Amino acid sequence: MSKKLKRSILFWLFLSPIVVVILFPYAVMAISSLKSATEVLNPTWWPDELHWQNFPEMWRTSGIASALANSLYVSGLSTALTILVSIPAAYALSRYQFAGRNAFRQFLLISQMLSPIVLVIGLFRLVAGAGMIDSLNVLVIIYTAFNIAFCVWMLQSYFSTIPRDLEEAAWMEGASRTRTLFTVFLPLAVPAMVVTAIFTFINAWNEFVIALTMLRTEGSYTLPIRVFSLVAGRYTVDWHYVMAAAFVASVPVAILFAWLQRYLVRGLSIGAVK
Amino acid sequence: MQRASVPYFLILPSFLLAAVIILWPLKEIVSLSLHDVNRFGMLKDFIGLEHYRSLFANPDFIAATWRTLFWTAAVVIGTLIVSVPIALILNEDFYGRGIARILIMLPWAISLTMTAIVWRWALNGESGMLNSALRDLGIINTNIQWLAEASTAFPMQILIGILVSVPFTVTIFLGGLSSVPEDLYEAAATEGAGRWDQFRLITLPLLKPFINIAFVLNTIYVFNSFPIIWATTQGGPANSTDILVTYLYKTAFRMGRLGEAAAVSLIMFAILIIFTILYVRLAMREEKQ
Repeated sequence: MSKKLKRSILFWLFLSPIVVVILFPYAVMAISSLKSATEVLNPTWWPDELHWQNFPEMWRTSGIASALANSLYVSGLSTALTILVSIPAAYALSRYQFAGRNAFRQFLLISQMLSPIVLVIGLFRLVAGAGMIDSLNVLVIIYTAFNIAFCVWMLQSYFSTIPRDLEEAAWMEGASRTRTLFTVFLPLAVPAMVVTAIFTFINAWNEFVIALTMLRTEGSYTLPIRVFSLVAGRYTVDWHYVMAAAFVASVPVAILFAWLQRYLVRGLSIGAVK
Repeated sequence: MQRASVPYFLILPSFLLAAVIILWPLKEIVSLSLHDVNRFGMLKDFIGLEHYRSLFANPDFIAATWRTLFWTAAVVIGTLIVSVPIALILNEDFYGRGIARILIMLPWAISLTMTAIVWRWALNGESGMLNSALRDLGIINTNIQWLAEASTAFPMQILIGILVSVPFTVTIFLGGLSSVPEDLYEAAATEGAGRWDQFRLITLPLLKPFINIAFVLNTIYVFNSFPIIWATTQGGPANSTDILVTYLYKTAFRMGRLGEAAAVSLIMFAILIIFTILYVRLAMREEKQ
C-alpha cells in the first residue's frame, strides 16, 4: 500500500465522526422532504415512497417563490453596494496618509463589535421613524452598513500587498491617477473583491434577526423568515413542506459556496496576516 | 489643497452609511435606557439608572447572563479544540481532500436559521431521527424529549453552535498553515524532531496569531448569536435556555419593555468591549515577551 493511501485512510477515519455529525441534519432535511405527510411523522431512514410532489406543492402553498426573489434582491443589492462604498475607503486607507486615518480605522473596529442584534431596538426606531418598516431597501442599507467594516478591512490589507511600483510606472507613462486605478490597480484586486463579495452575500442571505424585526407582511419575507414562519407559533407544522422549503433555500448557496470555497481560504489568509 | 481632500472624499460614503446605521441607533438606545418608556416607545421622565437597577434585581436576567457566558465559553473553546486537528488534516495532501474540505465547510454555506430549524425537527421526541438513530445504535432505549428540558436542550444547542462555528475557524487556520514554510519542518526533521515536537515547536507557535483572531471573532459572533436558540426553543421552556440576545428580543418585542431592553443592549456591548480590550492587551503583552 502506498504511503499516501495509508495516510488517506487514516485521515478519513479520523474525520468521519465529525463529517457524520455535520451531515446528519442535512440528511434529515433531504429525507424528510421526500416523505408523505403521514410518513414524515415516522422516523424511518428511507421513505417507502418518494414524494417528489412535495416540492411543487410546497412551492405553491408556502410563498417561497417570492421569498427567494426577495432574498436574491436584498443579498445581491447589498453586496454590490457594500463593494461599491468599501473600495474607495480601502484605497484611501492603503494609499494615502491623512489626519483621522487611525480614527477611521478604530471607528470601523468598534462598528464591527456592535452587531445588529445589540442595536435592533435603535434600528427599529430609526426605521419606524422614517415610516419604512416592511421595506426591503431598508434591509439593503442595514446589511451594507454592517458589512462595511469587514470589507474595508479585508480589501485594505489586500490592497497593501499590491506593489506601488506598478501604479507609479503607469503614472510615468503619463496615465492619470484615475485611469491607473481602473486599468492597473483594480484588476489586480479582483480576487479580494470576490472574497469580500461572497462574504457579504452569504451574510445577507442568512441574516435573521433584522429581517424578523423589520419585515411585517408575508410578501416581503426573506427566505429565513419565510421558512421560520412555517414553524413558529403554529399548532400543526407540515414538516415535509418545511424540510422541502429549507432544502430549496439551502442548495443554491451551498453549491455556489462549494465551488468558491478554495478562493475563501486563500483570501482569508491574505486578510488575516496583515 | 485639492489633493489633501481626496482621501476624505473616498472614505465619506462608507463613513456616512456606517455612522447613520450604527451611531444613531446607539445614541437612541442610550437615551431609551435612561428614560421611562411606554409600550409604544414614547420617552417619559428621565430616570437615570433605574432600568439597570431593576435588571440586576431580576433573577431571569442574572441567570441569562451567566448562561450567556457559559454558552460563549463552551462553544468557542469547543470550536477551537475541534478545529485545530481538522485544519491540520485538511492541510495535508491525501485522497479526497477536496471533498473533505467541502463537507467540513458545508454548515457555513447553509443559513443558521435553516440548520437550527432542521435540528429542531431532528430532535423531536417521537418523530425525530436523532432518537431513532441512537436507538438503532443501541445507545438509548427510550425516546428522549430533547427540547423539553434545558438539561438536554442546552447541550444540544451548544453542539449545534460548535458545528456551525467550525468552518469559519478551520478556514482561518488553513490560511495560517499555508503561510508556514515547508523547509522549516525539513530542517526540524533533520535535527531529529519527531512529529509531536514539530507540532509543538513549529506549528503551534506559528498558528498562535490565527488562534487569537479566531478566538476573538468567534467570541463576538457566538455571544451575539440569535438563530440557534430562537429557532429551537425560543429560550424556553420557562426561559431556561435564554441567553442575553433572546432575553433582549423578548423584553423588547414581546413584553414591550423597551427601556429595560435598551439597557440589556448596552450591558452586552460593555461586556464585549471589556472582553476585547482585555484580550488584546493580554495578547500584546505575550507578543512582547
